[in-house]
Amino acid sequence: MRATPQRAGRRLGVRITAGAAVLALGTLAACSGGGGDSGKSHDAIIMWHGYTDVENKAITQLGQEWNAAHPDQKVNVTFAGSNDDALKKTLASFVSGKTPGVAYEYGSSITTLAQRSQTQDLTSLVKGTPSFQWNDFFPAARQAATTPDGKIYGVPALVDNLALVYNKKLFDAAGLSYPTANWTWDDFRNAARKLSEPSQHKYGWAYVNDGTEDTVWRYIAMLWQAGGDLLTPDGKKSAFDSPAGLAAMQLLHDMAVTDHSVYLDTGDGQYQNLFNSGKIGMLWTGPWDLGTINKDISYGAQFLPGKVTHATIAGPDNYMLFNKGDRTTAWAFVQWLDSAQTHLKFAIATGDLPLRQSETQLPGYKDFLKRYPANQVFVDNLSKNATKSRPNIPAYPKISQVLGTAVQSVLLGKAQPQAALDDARQQVDQILAGE
Amino acid sequence: MTVATAARAVGKGPRRRGRQRGVRRGDQFAGWAFVSPAVVLIAVFGLVPVVWSLLLSVQQTDLTSAGTWSGGANYTKMVHDPVFWQAARQTLLYCVLFVPITMVLAVPIAVLLNQKVRGMTFYRMAVFAPLVTSTVATGVIFSWLYNPQIGLINAGLDKLGLPQQGFFQSTGEALPAVVGMTVWGWLGFAVIIYLSALQNVPRELMEAAALDGAGRVRAFFKVELPLLAPASSFLLVWLTINALQLFDEVYVTTKGGPLHASTVLVYYLYQQAFVNFDGGYAAAIGVALFVVILIVTVVQLWLGRRTSHYEAG
Repeated sequence: MRATPQRAGRRLGVRITAGAAVLALGTLAACSGGGGDSGKSHDAIIMWHGYTDVENKAITQLGQEWNAAHPDQKVNVTFAGSNDDALKKTLASFVSGKTPGVAYEYGSSITTLAQRSQTQDLTSLVKGTPSFQWNDFFPAARQAATTPDGKIYGVPALVDNLALVYNKKLFDAAGLSYPTANWTWDDFRNAARKLSEPSQHKYGWAYVNDGTEDTVWRYIAMLWQAGGDLLTPDGKKSAFDSPAGLAAMQLLHDMAVTDHSVYLDTGDGQYQNLFNSGKIGMLWTGPWDLGTINKDISYGAQFLPGKVTHATIAGPDNYMLFNKGDRTTAWAFVQWLDSAQTHLKFAIATGDLPLRQSETQLPGYKDFLKRYPANQVFVDNLSKNATKSRPNIPAYPKISQVLGTAVQSVLLGKAQPQAALDDARQQVDQILAGE
Repeated sequence: MTVATAARAVGKGPRRRGRQRGVRRGDQFAGWAFVSPAVVLIAVFGLVPVVWSLLLSVQQTDLTSAGTWSGGANYTKMVHDPVFWQAARQTLLYCVLFVPITMVLAVPIAVLLNQKVRGMTFYRMAVFAPLVTSTVATGVIFSWLYNPQIGLINAGLDKLGLPQQGFFQSTGEALPAVVGMTVWGWLGFAVIIYLSALQNVPRELMEAAALDGAGRVRAFFKVELPLLAPASSFLLVWLTINALQLFDEVYVTTKGGPLHASTVLVYYLYQQAFVNFDGGYAAAIGVALFVVILIVTVVQLWLGRRTSHYEAG
């Protein structure tokens, strides 16, 4: 059969496209093969992090230190965009094949990443390396690195928690005594009311009200303080629609809607500027905010107020390892990075909290506290009040969104506490039942 | 009426078709060669993603591991998703507010900038500046201006004895507040388009109008304004497409809140794809948006061709 000219042209087109596709695939394969997925390779292990400023400097310095001491096991410590995007970038790297050997990941990302074949299960390495001293890490950090089935998919990269940070001058001016470790919710609410002056746009407290996890985790701390919990112990059903959950919502409602003593931040962090200009008396925040407080503000830090307990919530992050490049080097490097001596150097440079209990026994720890006196409270929180962590289940991001909406609607006075809880319970149970 | 039909007749097909028939094969090859880089780019960055989205929208996928085919499940979910419909309504409301306000405000400003006054370059630059300001900077500035507690706008309202507003923190005001911010950002673009259209108005026409005894105002309404029609139809299409794709401004200011009050379709799509990693559902929303934009654009272009009597240039 003779092909018409038109057809021949078309077929040629097809052949060119197909050829190009094969070429492209070949190139891709060549690229991804270059990393040497197994065994030893002389390429440096790539470690992604999203640190800026002081932390960036400190981690880069540590990378150089490691490389100087281990010329055969080089590591390339790379800024890969803000940590906020770490999960997205890592997932994208799975598709492109340019996966790093190690990456800094938020604690909440573990559920998503643990399901991927590219992510290394570290259980046998962590448990099989006695010198790593897994139990030396603070409990919340260990929980955050472990999936519900008991497998370890990360090693601690950062621990933090929330404490009450207050402006001493504003307390003096209002004739209030400083918060104590035994403060109750009532003490807290009264102080916030006395510190507020709506006509002068002064507020006792600030609450991030953008409906994201930033809104949710302060509520979870309150839920725990009242003796409640988010889910049933088996993780199959919601448990926050309880007297404790209601008490926490009611406190938010009373302070934001009735007292008008709460500055509701839309999520752009203006509460920091307002705290610096003396417009906000108290924050529930972590060590990362201390660096942004102006030098001329005299502030103190205290445990969060309590009801049944003074529970706080921790947001530990992990270093996760991927099936890429020389895994022995990656593991050795992370072990070194997580050792008490190395991390204390990092902590002194950045103000990050110690990762290990043994870190607080090192002689250099005194320098750390001298440099960051307010951190004492956060460190004490680690062993005393940060005993629970959020459930490491795949559905958590969705649950967080539902709770974010519920808390937001109460803070804005759009829903009564009980109604918001009922609505959220229904949705969360539906999510947990698999929709 | 007669003018309109005549213009339409002139623009009709035969002439174009005739021209095409005359093209020789060699010319055709040269033509394709010239446009091939653009064609490749459009195919790779335009067509492939569209087709891929279509495929994704009938799968359950988290975008990185292999998905499973799910037929119309994502579309069924979409139809029964109240937040999707809320986002769709809000996207529409945003378009209906943003596009006309921008265009109506731009005309008088363009006329003012078309005068011969000292320092005109400065004024033109001042109007154009918001367009080249990064969205993030715009967002931060407006977050401060709109701040309910310490914002400049509320301080002004206070001075005037008017009640304080919640803006980004109020469910009723968040979307209008975004409209205000984006009108500010896009006004310069509309003004520039109108300005160039105004400068293309033939002098003779204005002189003839003046000779016929038309005052400045009358000349504007009878001569200049009708001649702005092609610019208007271009702006209508362009601004509407942009409005339907609103994302950055929402992302940097309200994050779609409070309580979804400023969630628009593209923001919702982003949330589904890159927060929930529900790629299939996000693709379905994208396909829905694509269809809407296609329809809106076709209708607008068709209306524009029917109503503008003048060929540009």
